[in-house]
Amino acid sequence: MKFVDEFRDVELARALGTKIVSLTEPDRHYKIMEVCGGHTHTIYKHGIEDHLPENVELVHGPGCPVCVIPMGRVDDGIAIAKDPNVIFTCFGDMMRVPGGNGSFLDAKAEGADIRFVYSPLDALKMAVNNPEREVVFYAIGFETTAPSTALTLMRAKAEGIKNFSVMCNHVTIVPPLKALMESPDLRLDAFIGPGHVSTVVGCRPYDFLTKDYNTPIVVAGFEPLDLLHSISMIMEQLDEGRAEVENQYGRVVPWEGNLRALQVLQEVFELRPYFEWRGLGFISQSALKLSDAYSDFDAELRYATPGVRVADPKACQCGEVLKGVIKPWECKVFGTACTPENPIGTCMVSSEGACAAYYNFGRFARSKARADA
Amino acid sequence: MKSEPLEVLDKDSYAVACSLVDGCLTCGDVAVEVEVIEVDGFDAVCEDPHGQRGKVGVDLVMPVEAGDRLLIHAGVAISHLKESK
Repeated sequence: MKFVDEFRDVELARALGTKIVSLTEPDRHYKIMEVCGGHTHTIYKHGIEDHLPENVELVHGPGCPVCVIPMGRVDDGIAIAKDPNVIFTCFGDMMRVPGGNGSFLDAKAEGADIRFVYSPLDALKMAVNNPEREVVFYAIGFETTAPSTALTLMRAKAEGIKNFSVMCNHVTIVPPLKALMESPDLRLDAFIGPGHVSTVVGCRPYDFLTKDYNTPIVVAGFEPLDLLHSISMIMEQLDEGRAEVENQYGRVVPWEGNLRALQVLQEVFELRPYFEWRGLGFISQSALKLSDAYSDFDAELRYATPGVRVADPKACQCGEVLKGVIKPWECKVFGTACTPENPIGTCMVSSEGACAAYYNFGRFARSKARADA
Repeated sequence: MKSEPLEVLDKDSYAVACSLVDGCLTCGDVAVEVEVIEVDGFDAVCEDPHGQRGKVGVDLVMPVEAGDRLLIHAGVAISHLKESK
């Protein structure tokens, strides 16, 4: 398959594994964070860790958009969805994320008209087809997803569609990376950079990692060889004492990003002064809201929401998982009270969540055996 | 691996080209590689590696023509693809 088979070649994978071993100092422990949930998914699905020396540790970062949504924002969405005139739309993975008073799926079971869509453009189409109803789209995601919301809003404005609005929860990638670098309980040697976010934002936003923190980052694709190649590039940098931004995913990611998409984002959104991230707390200027030019489409201005901060369940350790402080299986409720069927924490909800990836691909037993040894 | 194009489930939906992807379909940093079949204004009918066709918003990657390879996410193209060795 074009662009797939080429990046799953077993011999090349073995060669890259050998190269990584040759670049590893036996007495040093390496901690490399993959920021993106998509990378976490690939790592466990394809057993990437099995190709790495034991002293090269992959730490799972906060790049799963569903996982970082705080419970209070779910409750706010449910409050809007319960308006009988509203058709409330969201991405499928959001449906089971628990809020303080249940999930969107629970609210749907209680009668709210909640539908999942694959694209905000489909939500807009729903508004056109249901002129007597109000359609609200619950927008989540990093800079990969934000352009689709922005484009949808621009089309809604251009076509004069009044019965459509967006509850914006889009977040940006750089502020949480800064927060992680400032975190006293985490020491990272390097980052595997998010591939598709970088398609939009480019590679320049990561310069601060190399300049301010002397930490390498390699933007990587999502196939197994992409990840092994990016890890070998990181190990080369560490071996040579370099700290640079490198782009392994050049077939997709332009160094400057998608300038048209960035222009659209700037027109439709503006930075929030602060936003709560699950597990990371409040991070300043880390999320987007609709700009004044698009405030007519802002669901938070159209509808009353509780706006209450809800603490995570005490048993849930998603916050520590999201910061890479503990492994998913070290959480007290992993695989017992918290499973993909009945998730307590967001990391178990999304297939991109570190806990779900561990659980679904059977990596738990091997990791635990390693740790016990 | 590639076979005859699959049936288009809803020709007006922006979902179809996403629906066969493994992992988190829409909300994550996951995108789908597709080939442009036909351009209609700011939309294009595209085909994913499984032969599934669907509508894609191409406003952000214009100009686009049939045969181009695009990366799409949530029904919107975010990048042109280049060949890689």
